[in-house]
Amino acid sequence: MKSGRIFYTILFFFVFTSLLIVVGVVTSLTVTSYPIFSRDGLSFIFKSTWNPVKEDYSILPALLGTLITSAIAISISTPLAISLAVFSIEIVPSKFRAFINNISDLMASLPSVIYGLWGLYVLAPILHQYVMMPLHHYLGFIPLFSTKPIPTNLFTAGVLLAIMIIPFASSVIREAYNAVPYYLKEAAYSLGMTKWEAIKTMLGYIKSAIFAGIFLALGRAMGETMAVAMVVGNTFTFPKSLFDMGYTISSLIANQFPNAEAYNYMIPALYGGAFILFIVGLAINLAGLYWIKKVMIKS
Amino acid sequence: MNWAIEVNNLNVWYGDKHVIKNVSFKVPKNIIFAVMGPSGCGKSTLLRAMNRLLELNPYARVEGQVKINGIDVYSDNVDITWVRRQFGMVFQIPNPFPHLSIYENVALGPKLNGLVKDRSELDELVKQALQQAYLWDEVKNDLKKPASMLSGGQQQRLCIARALALKPKIILMDEPTANLDPVASSKIEELMLELKEEYTIIIVTHNPQQAARISDYVAFLYMGELIEIGETSMVFTRPRNALTEKYVVGRMG
Repeated sequence: MKSGRIFYTILFFFVFTSLLIVVGVVTSLTVTSYPIFSRDGLSFIFKSTWNPVKEDYSILPALLGTLITSAIAISISTPLAISLAVFSIEIVPSKFRAFINNISDLMASLPSVIYGLWGLYVLAPILHQYVMMPLHHYLGFIPLFSTKPIPTNLFTAGVLLAIMIIPFASSVIREAYNAVPYYLKEAAYSLGMTKWEAIKTMLGYIKSAIFAGIFLALGRAMGETMAVAMVVGNTFTFPKSLFDMGYTISSLIANQFPNAEAYNYMIPALYGGAFILFIVGLAINLAGLYWIKKVMIKS
Repeated sequence: MNWAIEVNNLNVWYGDKHVIKNVSFKVPKNIIFAVMGPSGCGKSTLLRAMNRLLELNPYARVEGQVKINGIDVYSDNVDITWVRRQFGMVFQIPNPFPHLSIYENVALGPKLNGLVKDRSELDELVKQALQQAYLWDEVKNDLKKPASMLSGGQQQRLCIARALALKPKIILMDEPTANLDPVASSKIEELMLELKEEYTIIIVTHNPQQAARISDYVAFLYMGELIEIGETSMVFTRPRNALTEKYVVGRMG
């Protein structure tokens, strides 16, 4: 009885501490960014200048950079993550399945600076030569591809993010696919479905889980800092095409904070960016959790 | 005589375990044929060996013949999806696809099989199948709603409609009432008696009373062996084998 009470006291202490830390972070985000919001109001969000000399800051280009790179990442990684999950369950012989899943988990656990280095020295030149230049050359009349690309830009960052988040989305989808009841598989095959038709039906059954996986991966893509900062170009301009160099909010913060002390409003501005990223990321993660919950209730 | 299905020297193994032992029988058309036996005797395995659903299990191995219309479903030049489409199957757990609508559940089979030319033909076929399964009147205004909103008994009748929409000759039923309440069960049994006018029904049951109530012919399966087979009235009134007798009077499993 007595040792039980001690255990609960310790448990409560640790839980309370973690909660306190979260509250502390949110509070300091709010408090520290307050000066920039009170000075500039919403124009801090909707302008496109970053001029420390004039103490004129705004976040829109970086916010757009975050949204664009994440959108590229999600559109590329979603089909790949679904394919990887289905492949590892339906196609790979069972003795290699653990191997594939381990590789996928390993991909998820690599430090992002490694992705950054690889992205900068391997991926970016390859994308530049074989994807971006041809797209610009043949489809340059489409605004998305209108800028003459250099290797580091929003597109490269998006592709690198896609590679980084595949294992996250894929593992959620894999778990859900594995949890499809056997009697539904039997139902599908008893109707004379081919393997492909049955897979399509099963994917329909787990579509909420697929959405959940995508949302979680999206949350991660939006917050990713180091790898993106190494390949995104780090240029504060309003992006006019996918091949523009740019910033994301997190890469902006990573690049600017060393100088921030020298200015009056740069620290609040960076915190303001962090605050907005926090809000957007929170919304997306909540949406992802909501979907997962829906899936769990269903099954 | 033209049989609905002929099973010759059928053997099934799961890994090293011999679960169906040299079983042979023939089923006439338009009857209800019940396979009864205690749990684990191999009834469900036998059923799945007929439409080759057993091959979903990577450890299952089958030897022997299963002939429908004189074609051995295990011969090399027979396509497995074709085999499965010759049978309608109803399972122990009502298993409509919960994410699809009532309509789509029934329409799925015919769409995959190219049984219909256009939407109106499909609508007609879905309606027919639901009517045959005695479900139409209960769901005709809710066709777009998800199948998961139906009760267990309704879901099972939806599964029967889904099987009927394939236009099969033979319907396989794996303990179709095991998870239903008595009212829903008796509805399914009435339905089976109607359906045998058009189809041959092979039902697996662990309940000898059910076999006695609805079947015309019955087989008793025990530990993978076919112990006795014959007209239901004969098997239940004058069983030839002591094991069968023990089973039908309820002193076994």
